[in-house]
Amino acid sequence: MQSDTVDTSCHAAIAEAVRTEARRILSDGTVTAVIGYAASRRKGSTQPIVITSVDDADKLIFSAACVNNLAVYLTKAKKDVPRSGRIGVVVKSCDLKALVGLMGEAQLKREDLYLIGIPCTGVLGSVLQPAALLTTASIASKCCECTDRLPPGCDFVPSVQLPQQPRLEQRYTDEIARLEAMSPAERWEYWKEQFSKCIKCYACRQVCPFCFCEQCLCDRNRPQMVEQTPRPAGNTAWHLVRAMHLAGRCAGCAECERVCPMDIPLNLLNRKMARELKELFNSEAGFEVRDKGPLNSYQDDDDQSFIR
Amino acid sequence: MHSEKQKHDFEPKIIAFVCTWCTYAGADLAGTSRMQYPANVRVLKFPCTGRIDPVFILKAFQQGADGVLVSGCHPGDCHYIAGNFHARRRFAAFRKLLEFIGVDLNRLQFSWVSAAEGGKWVEVVTDLTERVRAMGEMVEFKDLALEEQWSGSLNTPELQEAYDAI
Ligand code: SF4
Ligand code: SF4
Ligand code: SF4
Repeated sequence: MQSDTVDTSCHAAIAEAVRTEARRILSDGTVTAVIGYAASRRKGSTQPIVITSVDDADKLIFSAACVNNLAVYLTKAKKDVPRSGRIGVVVKSCDLKALVGLMGEAQLKREDLYLIGIPCTGVLGSVLQPAALLTTASIASKCCECTDRLPPGCDFVPSVQLPQQPRLEQRYTDEIARLEAMSPAERWEYWKEQFSKCIKCYACRQVCPFCFCEQCLCDRNRPQMVEQTPRPAGNTAWHLVRAMHLAGRCAGCAECERVCPMDIPLNLLNRKMARELKELFNSEAGFEVRDKGPLNSYQDDDDQSFIR
Repeated sequence: MHSEKQKHDFEPKIIAFVCTWCTYAGADLAGTSRMQYPANVRVLKFPCTGRIDPVFILKAFQQGADGVLVSGCHPGDCHYIAGNFHARRRFAAFRKLLEFIGVDLNRLQFSWVSAAEGGKWVEVVTDLTERVRAMGEMVEFKDLALEEQWSGSLNTPELQEAYDAI
């Protein structure tokens, strides 16, 4: 299949605007720190950075390799990091949804953040080759189905013109449809195969902004609810528990899937659940802070056709 | 009152997670009224359906259950006011998840059985037992538990190559 290049010429202007804004908010005391992206050692690669001084603002960059969801640095799981005041954070729309979710779960307060939103042309699906061109083939699957390229409600968004996007195939939608069309036995085989690859490194958990429990149910052994060995039974239980705990909360940032060293399509499960919850309870992750997610609220007249 | 004893080739194991206020009392009523129902069901009592975590169901299947019943108070009757409403949402979602990974939902039954419905308890348990009996043993999770080995093949060529080289 031929792949078209995605126009990323706006990145230079975005990076410049982010630097200028970081300088401004650090020098006038609006924030005490800015979390953003900086160049890393390999050519084209990027890494998260926290800057606290105006001089470091020049380190901030933005490119298609800025894949990380920086929301993960703001959860209670990072509570040993002292908070000294309002914090600036660079967010793409998908990252912003995670922050909004965390606000709904009382992990964060909007007034403690200064949001620097990125008009987004999409990011690389894999950063194994961070200097690769952003094309319809190398773009992350999540970006193919992204409807929010301009993050709403931010304190600052660089004013650049977003280029026209080439046509992108809806990989998750197609794959979910493919699986739904299978027989239950075929689906079981598919997931058994996928789950059995898991090595229980828990990278997916560590990178997810919503996995902030101080003690994960899956680490408990008295009583042990989920087998901890990286064997098929425990793996399946782990993935089902993960999908259930993220259901109705997952922001769809696909970080879990990106970091999985075994290429397990984690976001397929998350997206399938998001879709079901939308259908069942008309609730989905968005940019409005919700007091309660779909699985910690209820309505008297919820569907109960499956109960007798 | 003697019911006919019948011998079956396969006796399914049914695990019932019930709330103590309604369904457990309903099952108790069935017992004290000497109603007959299949002895395949093992009852686990919980304070509320809201306490019944989906992992309990997984665990039951992994430990050899062929069918699972979750039952509590009718909407509006919850001792803790809304525990069953929360459970209703959670299980609606959990069913979708199980379905997506390929579990036959006929093995999983959700019911409302009140303290006065001894007869309904008998009906629900009998129905589920007969249905699961007809379906046969639930092997999927048991097979998984028996599989010792990391058995996935990799869909990333570079990883597969590295793995093969070990
Ligand atoms: S999902 Fe949307 S906002 Fe997120 S990186 Fe992709 S294009 Fe940008
Ligand atoms: S489950 Fe994955 S996609 Fe969802 S919020 Fe967590 S890291 Fe992002
Ligand atoms: S990142 Fe992948 S291999 Fe690691 S625990 Fe998660 S699913 Fe398993």
